[in-house]
This record gives sequence, C-alpha cells and structure tokens, in this order.
Amino acid sequence: MTDVGLKAIAAAIAIFGAGASSIGEGLLVTKAIDGMARNPEMYGKLRSSMIIGAALVETCGIYALLVAILIIFVM
Amino acid sequence: MDKYTDPATWNSFNPSGEVIVALFVIGILVILAIVVGILARRADPLKRPKGLLKVVEWCVEKLDAFVADIMGPGFENFGGILLAIIPFLFIAFTIGITGLPSPINNLAVPLVLALVTFALIHFTAMRYNKGKYFKRFVDPLPVFLPINLLSMWAPLISMTLRMFGNGVVGWVLITIVNNALESASTAIFGSVIAGGASGIFLVPIITPVLHAYFDLFSGFVQTMVFVFLTCLFIAQERPDEIEQEAEMGSRKEAVK
Repeated sequence: MTDVGLKAIAAAIAIFGAGASSIGEGLLVTKAIDGMARNPEMYGKLRSSMIIGAALVETCGIYALLVAILIIFVM
Repeated sequence: MDKYTDPATWNSFNPSGEVIVALFVIGILVILAIVVGILARRADPLKRPKGLLKVVEWCVEKLDAFVADIMGPGFENFGGILLAIIPFLFIAFTIGITGLPSPINNLAVPLVLALVTFALIHFTAMRYNKGKYFKRFVDPLPVFLPINLLSMWAPLISMTLRMFGNGVVGWVLITIVNNALESASTAIFGSVIAGGASGIFLVPIITPVLHAYFDLFSGFVQTMVFVFLTCLFIAQERPDEIEQEAEMGSRKEAVK
C-alpha cells in the first residue's frame, strides 16, 4: 500500500466525526421544531437558539473536516 | 532553518496576506470609530440623532440590551469590547467575498481573538474572587491540580479552532469547487474559444451560492457564537452574592 492510499484511509476515518455531529444536529433540529409546534409564540426565540446550538454542534464536524484536509494536504 | 526560526530574518517585517488584510480592516474600523466619536461630540444631545450616528446609537442600544439579557447584573458596561470585536470578526469572515484572503485563515488572528476572551475570563475571575481565585486549581482535592491546569486551556483552544476551522474549511471547499469548475469549463468550451478565457463560464454561476453560505451565513453565525460564548464564559465567573444582591434590590423596589 502506498503512502497516498494510507493518507486517504486516514482522512476517511477522520471524517466519521462529521457523521456523528450531523446525527446530533438532526436531533437538535427535531427537538427545536417539536418545541415550535407545541408553542408557536416562542418561534423566534427557539429559532435563534437553534441556530446557535447548531453552530456549536457543527464545530465537531468542522474539526473532523479540518483534520481530514490537513491529513490530505499537509502531512 | 526557515524564515521563522532564523534569527537573521527576524527584524525584517514580512507579513502574510491575511495579516495585511487584518490590519486593513482594523484601519477602516479605527477611522470609522474616530469619525463617529467626532460626530457624537459635536451632536446636539437634545435633538434626534441622524445618519451614521443614528445607526451607531441603535447598535449600542441593542448591544446593551443583549448584554443585560445574557450576562445579568455586574456587567453593565461590558458592551464596549463587544462593539469592538463584532464588526472586526464579521468583516474578517465576509471579506473573503471580495477575493482578498480572509484574516481568519491565519491561525494567529483567531488565536489572538480567543486570547482576548481568555484573558477577560481570568481577569474577571480575579477581580471578583480576589485570593479565592487560586482555589479553583485545587478544586475538589489538591490531587486534581495537573488536570485543572490542563482543562484551563480548553476554552482557548476550542474557540480558536472553531473560528479557524470554519474559515479554512470554507476557503478550501470554495477553492476546490472553483478549480473543478474551471477545468470543466475548459473541457466544454475549450474547442469553441481558444486560450485561457474558456475557463470562466461556469464559475460565476455556482460559487456565489457557496460564498453566501460559507462567508456570509457561516461568518454571521460564528460571530454570534463567539460573542455568545464570550458573554456566557465571563458571566459564569460572577460570584453568587452579586446576583443575590441585585435580586434583593429589585424585590425591594417592587415592594415599594
């Protein structure tokens, strides 16, 4: 196996973190929409908290993508 | 030995493009701040503000309400530093639209911004807790000292990498899509139009969407998250007594 192949496998393993973070994001949006359907007058507040929470959860996926990109281009 | 480790090259000022753009943004904001300051000094306080001053006053009002809402009592005049950080961060994220290198793509810029927050957290803790500040390092037991010393740096690293990762990932994806579209366009139109001009047809159709998401939306959300986290981390350092005093005060007023 060549070095490039090993790097590609390492990057593919690293990007699994993005999958986990997207599961978390899906759960977050489900719950937020649930709350919005239950009391629609809270829609504005819930939406802004949801976006901030999504950005926080997304951080993990971004770390994974960053590590994958670093493995491919820098290592 | 490269140019960063060779002492002979240290005295030559040779910044990268991102740092120059960061200095450029800072220059614009400083000029804007001086202009607003002069306008505010000359304005008649009894009349309605207009023009630029009206916009700035609206921003300050909203920011003060935001700080009072999130941080609570004890931080009434904290909006100032946020008004300095928010425009810089937002412009630094969105300047990638113009084609200039975004300052966030250089690790030094997010690191410095996160260091400001980190220093503020610990100075606030020292100001409120005085000698009790050092108690946090031996929190449950003195055995936890090394763990506490390590976990102290977690907010700094996570804030730095959050901003840096967002900027770099957006930039890398946009660059990859740009190059792919350019070669696709050359392959399609290369037989019709000779030369390098055949590569420009597909890029302007698809990349604006990516710019809108990665630069504008992501930049806005990351700015919000950074400010939100800064406020929460600092408000966390306030001891409970101040909050209780403020609550008692408001209750007394309500009783009167």
